[in-house]
Amino acid sequence: MSDPILSVEGLQVNYGRVEAVRNVSFEVATGALVTLVGANGAGKTSILNAVSGLIRPRHGVIKFKGQDITKWPAHRLVKAGLVQVPEGREILGTLTVAENLSLGGWHRGSTLNANVARVYDRFPVLFERRRLHAGALSGGEQQMLSIARALIAEPEILLLDEPSMGLAPKIVDEVFSVIEEIRSTGTTVVLVEQNARRALAAADFGYVLETGEITHSGPAHELLADEKVIEAYLGLD
Amino acid sequence: MQLFLDGIFLGSIYALFAIGFTLVFGILDRLNLAHASVFTAGALVGIEVVSRFGISIWLAIPLVLVLGALLGVLIERIAFRPLAGRHDAHFAGLISSIAFGAIILSLLQALFGADTRRFPADAFPQARFEILGATVSLLQVIILVISVSLMVVLTWLVAKSKLGRGMRTIAENPHAAAVLGLNVGRISSTTFAISSALGAVAGVLFTLNVNAAQLGIGHAVELKALAVIVVGGMGSLPGALVGGLILGLSEVLAVNYIGSSWRDMVAFGLLFLILILRPQGLFGARKTREV
Repeated sequence: MSDPILSVEGLQVNYGRVEAVRNVSFEVATGALVTLVGANGAGKTSILNAVSGLIRPRHGVIKFKGQDITKWPAHRLVKAGLVQVPEGREILGTLTVAENLSLGGWHRGSTLNANVARVYDRFPVLFERRRLHAGALSGGEQQMLSIARALIAEPEILLLDEPSMGLAPKIVDEVFSVIEEIRSTGTTVVLVEQNARRALAAADFGYVLETGEITHSGPAHELLADEKVIEAYLGLD
Repeated sequence: MQLFLDGIFLGSIYALFAIGFTLVFGILDRLNLAHASVFTAGALVGIEVVSRFGISIWLAIPLVLVLGALLGVLIERIAFRPLAGRHDAHFAGLISSIAFGAIILSLLQALFGADTRRFPADAFPQARFEILGATVSLLQVIILVISVSLMVVLTWLVAKSKLGRGMRTIAENPHAAAVLGLNVGRISSTTFAISSALGAVAGVLFTLNVNAAQLGIGHAVELKALAVIVVGGMGSLPGALVGGLILGLSEVLAVNYIGSSWRDMVAFGLLFLILILRPQGLFGARKTREV
């Protein structure tokens, strides 16, 4: 394995007295698709938000391309190429699709237009609706917009938080094919999902989380084949 | 005509104050009740630098602008940012900004005393001229020009600039703004700086207009400005402008035709009437919320 692009060591996240994440360590190899799976409340989003600089962890060290980024604020991380597609999409409903996309390029002055053009090529539906308020899009389109907006920031590593949540199965297929496509262009992907089977099927490596701790880890196909993991943690969906 | 012009001059100062207010209230969704103290500080410090140090009023106005901006940064850092993570951040910020405003007022009282203060007689141009039968002082024209140009610059800034886009993004969804890599802290404190700079300049201009300032002037204007931004439509800059002008005009006209004790009655009555006819305010969009 080449040097990891992202490494997390001994991460602990607290909300008041509640320990949401306890002593979590993991690594993400450059160019890999790594997934963190687990039930609702297992601490997946807290981990992503700590990595993204949106919340400050209690303990632990987070490194991005070998640099300690534990205390970096979110805007600095986005500029450095660590970009999140947040849970619930967080599109700006009263702004147009085009305005949402250009916000994705907040730190990308000169390449913004080229990036937007490329995203429109890949997502023709966003081009068609570029003048509409983003709030008028369907759930699937909003998810595509949220991913497209993150791509405009030119991520080296893209963190996706529950991108399939609340979407119809056919749209979930589309989201996953977009994720695999992103990965095939060399962008490292960290995928947080409740839809564990689906995520593990797409990923190279997986971590299983339960109540704030990593209970299993390994190559994704091995986790998928491990009946104990399936039964105990992944359910029979 | 004379009354109309006087009303416009007064109204433009109200508008300038209200626009600073609504910038933070409407865009960042924070009610900064220290804004009135910034207005007072602008007025008193403006008088002080002109009368004690003999600085020309043309230099004093930019100085006060800078002072206001610094106060704005302090207000954001001290009264609002530490509370930002609380679930009752709006209310907590409102209270702490009252406290911060009180501290500013106490400092002003310690520095300058509680007496009414005026500019020295020769501090500003006395020239007067006639327009359409009305007498207008050069000073009034200057007040109007300064407030209108500040408002134009600000409106452009919010509508077109990158900073303005950042402000509007934070207004809609601060979490999304942070995820997208916007420096939410810096944009917020810049917004406070601009807001307070306008409030402080409004204080100097108001004092130039009536040539008197004491510690209480801010509070009188604060209530009026709150009414103005509600009537104009929350967060609407043109609304604050038009609302300010309506208030200025109605006050001047009421004093002249009905009597000065009726001034507030008429002015606020009119604002009330507008709200009954148009509850979202003159320029406010009807809020639609998605489920």
